[in-house]
Amino acid sequence: MGIVMSEQHLLDYMYVLVFVLVGLAAAVAQVVVSRLFSPPSIQPKTGEPYECGMDPYGSAWGIRFNITYYLYALIFLAFDVDILYLFPVAVAFDTVSGLRGVIELFLFIGILSLAIIYAWAKGVFIWTKKKPAG
Amino acid sequence: MNDVLLTIILIVIKLGLVLGTVLSLAAYMVLAERKVLARMQMRHGPNRVGPFGLLQPLADLIKLLCKEDLIPERADRWVFMLAPAISVGTALLAFAVIPFGAPLQIFGRTIELVICDLNIGLLYLFALSSLAVYGVALGGWASQSKFALLGGLRAMAQMISYELALGLAIVPVVMASKSFSLTAIVASQQSLPNALRHPLAFLIFVIAIMAESKRTPFDMPEAENELVAGYHTEYSGMRFGMFFVGEYVNLIVLGSMLTVLFLGGWHGPFLPSVGWFLIKILAVAFFFIWVRGTVPRLRYDQLMAFGWKILVPLGLLNILVTAVWLLWRG
Repeated sequence: MGIVMSEQHLLDYMYVLVFVLVGLAAAVAQVVVSRLFSPPSIQPKTGEPYECGMDPYGSAWGIRFNITYYLYALIFLAFDVDILYLFPVAVAFDTVSGLRGVIELFLFIGILSLAIIYAWAKGVFIWTKKKPAG
Repeated sequence: MNDVLLTIILIVIKLGLVLGTVLSLAAYMVLAERKVLARMQMRHGPNRVGPFGLLQPLADLIKLLCKEDLIPERADRWVFMLAPAISVGTALLAFAVIPFGAPLQIFGRTIELVICDLNIGLLYLFALSSLAVYGVALGGWASQSKFALLGGLRAMAQMISYELALGLAIVPVVMASKSFSLTAIVASQQSLPNALRHPLAFLIFVIAIMAESKRTPFDMPEAENELVAGYHTEYSGMRFGMFFVGEYVNLIVLGSMLTVLFLGGWHGPFLPSVGWFLIKILAVAFFFIWVRGTVPRLRYDQLMAFGWKILVPLGLLNILVTAVWLLWRG
């Protein structure tokens, strides 16, 4: 039982590392095995992207998609960090003196939800319809 | 020296057992899903390979291994090859911290039935579920196919949105149990499972994991009638198989997360603790399949609006209510 606390932590992460290696090996092994068994049959159209049997039209990396996806990613970035701040608050909640802790939590969450209210008011959550062509 | 050797052997046994169980459970989950869904739709489901179709997963595996492994010409080759591995790897890695039974006593040694009890286990799970987004997003982008790209985009936006709700639902549990360690969280539910103590958080969590797993009614990313197969349209053979297995491993991970955080983990009367844990996971999985057989798909804007306008505010409110409740209880 001579293991020091920090060494114990290192040991824990060693297990995680071993798990990563085993998982990687499993992922690679599947692909290698299928390489050995699968019959390659390259036809002229084999490498084309699937578009329901039509000839592919243009590149997929040039298509336009709704800007809303990007906006969601942006609010997520702002908001997810805030939630990560909530975790230490949650774990140390009982060490803060009662009423003061709760009031601070209310203030923090109040300021935090402004991000959502702002996005809501700006209409981010309304999915804009494409104007009919022509 | 002897002690170290024994520890290493124990770890190897635990690793093998956990990985073996999870992978075979995932394979049979596919069969179970097909069987149960078939029964709900008045069909028989797979029943030709082996008794009751029990060898079907094996047959599927052999078929997938023998299929041609295509990489589209215009795809980003490396990212294309990496994406399924991320998808399956993040799902498998989650099992490193999940406690699946009460500590065992064998030959005077206490064996913890968890691979490693990280003191930040919950954060680790949360981080892995964020990393899982990369698998589908990169897979959809790298294929350079329009269906795959749209599926990947939808999956990305949906998963990050519901991850917020997931995180917010976890906070009250941490507040009550005062720890991120999953073992400690399970131990704190000895008398009463968290589902009864935090019913609102439980509800938010169930909906959020259903959306995280991209299953009906939240399966817009792979909606087959509009997007063919979504982000894995261009994948074939074992690479498709990896996405597929990853999805079912993920289902088991989310089931275990629900079990550990809200359903009392391995606590339960009469049966051994590992048995209770398995029963609870299977019950959650059955519930998921049931929902898939019952509920129609939502529309994408409805889904996002539901996540941001209802689940996230409810989650925030729930944290405040829990704080006040904890203060009032003293």
